[in-house]
Amino acid sequence: MALNRRAFTKTTALGATSLALSPSFRHLLASPEVDEFVKPQRFVFIRKSNGNVPKYCTLPSLSAEDKKRDEKKEAFEVDLHGHELPAWLQGLEPHKDNMTLLHGISMAVSGGGHYSFSGCMGAYKAGRNTLSGIKRATVDFELARLFPSPFQHVELSLASGSGRVEFRNGIVSGFSAPAPHQRNYCYADPQTAYNELFKSVTNTNEVASDNALLNYLHEQEKRRLAGLDGDERKKISDQVDSIQAIRQRNAEVAALGEVISNHLPNLDEIHKDGGPNATLLQKQEAFTEILIAALMTGLTHVVTYTIDDLGTPITTLPANRGKIDLHRLGHNAGHDQELRDAVKQSHMTQVEKIVRRLKSVPEGDGTMFDRTTVIYMPETGAGHHGPDTEAPMVVMSGDKTRLDIQGRYIRLPFHGTEGHQTLSNWYTTLLNAYGNPVSHYGDLDLEMTRKRRRQEGAIKRFLTA
Amino acid sequence: MLHVFGINLVFAINLSSEIRSVMQRVPSEVLMFLCHVSLPGVTFSRIAATLILFSHVSAVRGAPFPDDHALAILQTRCIECHEGSAAESGIELEGLVSKKLETRLELLNLIEEQVFFETMPPHDAEPLTETERESVLSWTASELKRHGASRLREKLRRPEYGNYVDHQSLFSGDYVDLPGYTPNRRWLISEFIFDAKINRMLDYQGVRTIDGIRQDVHGDHGVNLGTRFGGQSVRQSITNPFLLPSTIGVRYYSHEALTGGHLLTMVSNAKKIARYMTTESTLKKHYASMYGLLKLEFQQREKLERRGRFLASHIEFLLRENFGDRHDAMLPPFVSVEVDDPPQVTNGDGSPRLETNLGLLDRFDDDDLDAIYLGMGLYDRDDRSLDAVIRRCEERWFYRGVHPKRIENRVSIMKVLHTNWDIDLIKEDIQKKKIVPPEFHPLEEEEMEVIHAAIRENRQQGDNFQQVIDRCMRRWADDNSAELERISQVTDVELHAVMEELYRKIFERSPTADEIREGQDLARSYMTRLDRQKAFAKLIESLILSSEFAYRTEFGQGERDEYGRQMMSPRDASYALAYALHDHGPDQELQQAAREGRLETPADYRREVERMLANVDQFTVIDETVQKSGFNASVTDQPIRKIRFFREFFGYPKAMTVFKDDARFGAGRHDGTVGRLVDEADMLVAYILEEDQNVFEELLTTDRFYVFHSGDSREMQRASDRLREIYDYFRQYEWQTFDEEQLYQHWPFIKKMEMRGTVFADFETNDRRRRDWVRSFKRTMESLELRLGKGQENAMPYDELPMAYWHRGNATGRTGQVMRAHEVTTYFNIDYRDWDYPAVQPAIVPNRKGILTHPAWLIAHSLNTETDPVRRGKWIREKLLAGTVPDVPITVDAVVPEDPHRTLRDRLAAKTSETYCWQCHQKMDPLGLPFESYDDFGRFRVQERLEHEENLLATAKEAALVEGIQVDVYKTLPVVTEGEINGFDEPGTVGKVRDAFELVERLGNSSRVRQSMIRHAFRFFLGRNERLSDSRTLMDAEQAYLESGGSFDAVIVSLLSSDSFIYRKPVEN
Repeated sequence: MALNRRAFTKTTALGATSLALSPSFRHLLASPEVDEFVKPQRFVFIRKSNGNVPKYCTLPSLSAEDKKRDEKKEAFEVDLHGHELPAWLQGLEPHKDNMTLLHGISMAVSGGGHYSFSGCMGAYKAGRNTLSGIKRATVDFELARLFPSPFQHVELSLASGSGRVEFRNGIVSGFSAPAPHQRNYCYADPQTAYNELFKSVTNTNEVASDNALLNYLHEQEKRRLAGLDGDERKKISDQVDSIQAIRQRNAEVAALGEVISNHLPNLDEIHKDGGPNATLLQKQEAFTEILIAALMTGLTHVVTYTIDDLGTPITTLPANRGKIDLHRLGHNAGHDQELRDAVKQSHMTQVEKIVRRLKSVPEGDGTMFDRTTVIYMPETGAGHHGPDTEAPMVVMSGDKTRLDIQGRYIRLPFHGTEGHQTLSNWYTTLLNAYGNPVSHYGDLDLEMTRKRRRQEGAIKRFLTA
Repeated sequence: MLHVFGINLVFAINLSSEIRSVMQRVPSEVLMFLCHVSLPGVTFSRIAATLILFSHVSAVRGAPFPDDHALAILQTRCIECHEGSAAESGIELEGLVSKKLETRLELLNLIEEQVFFETMPPHDAEPLTETERESVLSWTASELKRHGASRLREKLRRPEYGNYVDHQSLFSGDYVDLPGYTPNRRWLISEFIFDAKINRMLDYQGVRTIDGIRQDVHGDHGVNLGTRFGGQSVRQSITNPFLLPSTIGVRYYSHEALTGGHLLTMVSNAKKIARYMTTESTLKKHYASMYGLLKLEFQQREKLERRGRFLASHIEFLLRENFGDRHDAMLPPFVSVEVDDPPQVTNGDGSPRLETNLGLLDRFDDDDLDAIYLGMGLYDRDDRSLDAVIRRCEERWFYRGVHPKRIENRVSIMKVLHTNWDIDLIKEDIQKKKIVPPEFHPLEEEEMEVIHAAIRENRQQGDNFQQVIDRCMRRWADDNSAELERISQVTDVELHAVMEELYRKIFERSPTADEIREGQDLARSYMTRLDRQKAFAKLIESLILSSEFAYRTEFGQGERDEYGRQMMSPRDASYALAYALHDHGPDQELQQAAREGRLETPADYRREVERMLANVDQFTVIDETVQKSGFNASVTDQPIRKIRFFREFFGYPKAMTVFKDDARFGAGRHDGTVGRLVDEADMLVAYILEEDQNVFEELLTTDRFYVFHSGDSREMQRASDRLREIYDYFRQYEWQTFDEEQLYQHWPFIKKMEMRGTVFADFETNDRRRRDWVRSFKRTMESLELRLGKGQENAMPYDELPMAYWHRGNATGRTGQVMRAHEVTTYFNIDYRDWDYPAVQPAIVPNRKGILTHPAWLIAHSLNTETDPVRRGKWIREKLLAGTVPDVPITVDAVVPEDPHRTLRDRLAAKTSETYCWQCHQKMDPLGLPFESYDDFGRFRVQERLEHEENLLATAKEAALVEGIQVDVYKTLPVVTEGEINGFDEPGTVGKVRDAFELVERLGNSSRVRQSMIRHAFRFFLGRNERLSDSRTLMDAEQAYLESGGSFDAVIVSLLSSDSFIYRKPVEN
C-alpha cells in the first residue's frame, strides 16, 4: 500500500490535527476513503491482568527440538494442526484454523508492573494513569476510525479500576483513548451497557427527548449565524454542522431499530441496578451477549473488553475454592497454576462464544466471523509484575481478515535481538493491514534503540499481499 | 505609499475594505518593488507572495479554474517529478484539474505552501522566478479561498508563524500611528477555563494544606487524584475536550473553532453534569426554585426510602407480628446450596498455612462480609458445628431473598475462613466490630399503620421477605405517582425562576426575555416525556451544549471612534481581564467595576490589572501532573497565567513527556524524578517573577537554582539540622556495633527525633515493626557519615532508606508531603550522598547559567537517547530572536546518520553542511550546538560518551559511581561547544560564541531578545499574532519594562491596557 501524506492524514488521528480533540464518532466528519474497506472488519480486544505466563501458553505436544527453541525463546513457528492445545485453550479446539498463539511481542513500550492502563492499547507508558500520560489515540480507536459505525467504539469493563477488589457499575472511566490526553468511558456493568447501547429500542422517551434537545440546539445556533461573517461565522457554523451530524447519527441508529430488536440480548434480572448479586461468570456471559449483539447490529465494529484487572473479584469463580483475589493469585504464580488456568478458561469460554456466534450469522458469501479479529492479550506482559519483554496473545481471526497468521503457533525473535517485534510493531501491522498507512505507530523500545536494532514499521511477514 | 505598504505587511488578514481596495488597484509589480526597496533585510519574495496571496487574490476571484499560466508553470517545473505512480513523495500532479475537488484542494494546498516557503522546487533544480511564483501563488490562493480551504492562511494565524511579521518594522517606530485593535471575536475556552467552569458547576473545591494552612485552591480538578486522595468521582468522569496543543510556545489562541469532537464529548459531559446538578442534595443546596418544584417528589421518595429501610431491617419481626402462627407456614420451602470444602493451604513442610492478615478481607464484598459476620455473631456457639452455623445463616439469607448464587458465595467464604484463616482472629474481629441486627424502633403511629396494612395486603403464600418488600414498595410508588399527577402544572413564573437560576450558574448572567420564553417551552416539552427531575436535567444539558458555554466573547460596544473601533463591552472586558491572568471569571471587584461603568478607559483597565497582580491571597495548583509525580507541591500564589506564560514559552514541562532509559539515567527511576526537576524549574520562575526585576535577563542568565528544595529555606534548614543533631548525637557512640538492646537504650532520643519506625504507635510492642530496625539505623548513620563526615556544613535532607517518605521527620514540601526524588541532584552533576547542601536556595550551582541550562529545559529539548541541538537552536531562533525557520521540506529525510566513532556534532554536520540543508540549519545549529556541554539528561559534560556496543568499556555494574550516577562506560570524545549568533544586526550580540555560557550571556543582554519575549507575551495575553498596527502596543510594553527596571508585571499592565487589547472592530469577510 502506498504511503502518502494524503492517505495518512485521512486515515489517522495522528495526522488529523483538527480532529485530534475528537473523542468519538469521528467518522461523522470523515468517511473512509477506500472502497475496498466498505465491508466492515470487526475487532475485539480482550484485555486481561496478571500477564500471560509464556510456559503456560505453549503447546504441550511440541517436538523436543521445538520445545528447546521455545524455552530458549528462539524464533520458530509450527502449524497448530496435529498439536494439542493447553488445557485452558481446549474449548477453542473446533476453531483451531482461526487461531494464532503469538509469542515474542514485547510490551516494554507500555511497561510491566501491576497495570498499564491505556498504555497497552496505545503502545506508550501511561504513567500513573494521568490524563497527561495518555500520549495518543489507542489502537482500537484508530481501527474504529477506519470502519465507521454509529457508536464507533464500545468499551466494556469488569475492571475495578481502583486497586480495591470490587465490581463497578454505571458509566466510568475506561482504558482506551480517543485522542491524546483524553480518556474514554466504558460500561462497567451489563445492564448499563444494555441500556445505553440499545436505548433507541428500549427507551424511546429518552431518545425522543435527546432529539428534541438537538433540534432546539440546531435552531438556536442557526439563529446565531445571522450577521456573522468570515472566521466568526465558521466558529458557529461548525457547531451547527456538528449538531446536524449527531442528528444524522441518531437517525441512522433509529433506522437500525428492527435489526436491534432482532438481536436484542436477553439480560437476566440479576444484572438490574448494576448487578450486585451477579457472579463473575454471569457478568462475563452477559457482557459477551451484549458485545455480540453490538457487533451483529452494526452499532459498532470495535469493542475493547477489559475482562479483568487486579481488582476484579474472582471469589465467585467455582474453581477459586481458596477465595483468593487476582492480585494474590499473581503473587502466587508458581502455586496456583490450576486457578490461573481456570481464570483463563473462563475467558476462553467467552472467546469461544463470540467466535461460534459470529460464525452462525451469514454475511455475504460467508459469515460474520470471516471479517472479525479477536485479540486476547495481557495488559502487562508475561506475569503479574511483568516481565514486559514478552506478552503471549491468543488471536482468533476469520478467513477474510488481513493478517497471514491463522492456524499457527508463532514465536518471534526475543526482545532486544535482531528482528524482534514490539507492541508498536504489532499495532502498526494491524493498522497498515486495515488501511491506515502510518509508518510506525507507538513508542520506540528504549532497549532496541540503545542496541541500535531496527524496530520501526509493520511486521512484514504478517501482511498479506 | 508607505502607508499602503505598511498595511500590507500586516499580512492583510484583517485589512479594512478601504485599504484593500487601494491595494487592489496597485499593480502587484509596484507593490513588490516597494517592499523590496523599503524593507531591506526582509525577504522580498515572501512579502511579495503574501501580498499576492491575500490582497491581489480578490482581483482574480472570478478567475476560472484552471489558470493557464500557472498550469503551464506547473507543467514545466513540477510535473516531471510529480507524475505517475513513481511521483515524488506520492504527490501526483498529473491531471490536477480533473481530480475530484477534495483531492485537488489538498494538492493546491501543498503547492501553495511549498512555493510560499520556498521549499520547492528542490535545491538541485532551478528556482522559480518571482513572476512564476506570483502566478502560481495567486492562482492557488484564489482557488483555495473560493472554497475556504487555504491551509497556509490558517497556518499564518498560528502562534508559531507569528514571526513572519517583520521584527524590525514592529519596533522601528514607523508604524506607531496605526490604530491598534483586536477584531470582535468568540474565543474558545481553554482547557483550564473549562476545568474551572466544571469545578463550579460540580461544586468541586480543591483543598490543600499549604505552609501548614488548610485552604481552598484553584487549579485542582481532581482528575489526576484517586478518590482516596481527594479526587471526586463525578469530577473525574468529565472529559476535557478543550485541550490545548502540546507544543512548546504559546498554546492558547483565539482562532480555534468548535469541532464535532468537542460537541460529542460535551454531550456525554452534559449528561453527567446535569445528573449531578439535579440530585436532591445539590438542588436543595444551590437551586431553590428547582428544588421547590421537586420538593413533593423528593418528600415522597424519602418517605418511600425510609419505609424501605425500615422493612429491610425488621421484615421478619413485622411478618411475625402480622401473621403470628401462620408466618412459618407461609414461608417458601427452604432450599440449601451445595458448596465443596476448600482445599487446605499448606506451607512448604505440609503444615497448614493460616492467613492472619485481616486487611485481605477487603477482597470480599462488604455486604457479604457483613452478612457473614452477623450470621456468625448470631449463630456461632461453642456447641455448634460449622455446618450447623452455615445452615442457620443459609436459612436466614434464603428467607430474606438473597440470590442463590450469592448465598453460595457466602457459604464458600465461610468455609474458607474456617479452613484457611486463623478463625480465632476472625472471631475476635467479629466481636470487635459488633455487627448485630438493628434494634426495633417503630416509626410514627400513622406510618406503622400504613406499613402493617401494606404487609397484610401484599404478602402471598410462599413469598420470601424481599418479595413482600418489593410488592409493598411498588404499591406505594404507584400511589405516589398518582398523587403527583394530581398536582397542578408548573407555572411560567416558576419556570422563569428556574431559568434565572440556571443561567446564573452556567453562563454567569441573567437570561433575556426571549431566552426565558424558549426555556419555558423547552422545559415543558421535556416534561411531556420525562419526569420533572429528568426534564430539568435535560434543560441543563441544553444550556451546557450551547456554543455560549464553549466560547468566551470579546465584542465592542458603544460609539465608534474615527478608526471604526469600539471599546470592549464592560462585561466582556471583565472576563477578558480575568482570563488574562486566571482561569476563572471576574472577581467581585471586577464585576462591580463592569456594572458601575468603571471599565471604560485605559486607566480603568490598568487599575484592575494592577489590583489583580498585587493580589497574592489565592493559591493555584500550577500543574496537577507535576503534583502527582512524586507528590510535589506545584502551587503558586501569583496569578497562574504569569507563570504559565513562561512554562509554555520555555517549554520545560515537556521534560516529563520525553521518555528516557533508566539504565542511562543511572540514578534510579528517571520517571519518578523528573517531576521534581520540573517543579523546581517552576519554583525558579516563580522566584524571579516575585522579585520582578530584570525578569528576562534573570531567567536567561541566573546562576542560582533550586535543587531538592521546597522553596522554604527555613524548613530545609530545619530538616538538615535535624539530621545533624542525629549524627552528632550518635557519633559519640560506637553505633557501628550496636545490637537491638544497645540501640534501644537511646529510645528517648530516637522517639524525639522521630526516626524511622517511630511513626507507628505500636512500634515498641509489635515485633514486625521493628524488623531490620538495627540494620536500617546503621544504614542511616552510614549515609549521614557521608553527608556530614567530611566537614560539610549541612546534610541534604533526604532519607536514605527505601520508602522513607512514609515516615515523618524528613523534609516536607510546602503542601506537607515528605519530599521525594532526591536523585534530582544528579541532573546537576551533584552526588546527593555527600553534597554540602545549601539550605538557602536558590543557590549557585556550578556550570549552569539560566533556564536554558536547567536540566528540565535541556531534557524537554532532547530526544530519547540523544541531545537535540537542532531543536534547541530552533527554539532560540524562534522564541528569543524572533526569527523564522521554514517547515522541514517534505523531501528531506531529517535523520542524523549513525556513526559510532563520531560525536553528534560531527554527525550532524555531515548531514546539514550541504548548501541546501545549511540554508535553514545555519539558523539553528550554531545556536543549539553550544549546549552540547550537556547530555540529554541535562548533565554537564566535557566528554561525549559514544554510546554504542562496540565502544563499551565497562557495564554499569562494573562502573564507578560518578556524580551520583552509575552507567555503562563508553569511549568518549571531547565536546566542542562553539557556536554563533547570526541572522540580524545587533552589535555585541551577534558573532561567534565559545560556549553556552557566553551564548546565554549575550542573549540576556540583547534588546532583540527582550523584544522577542515581549512579542510572545503579546501573543499569550491577546491570543493572536501581532500585526504592524500593534507596533505601538509592543513598543509601549518594552518601554514599560525598561522604565520599571525589568518588571514583567509592568509588561502585563501595559499590554492589557493597550489599544490592541481594549479596542475592537467588527470582523470583515
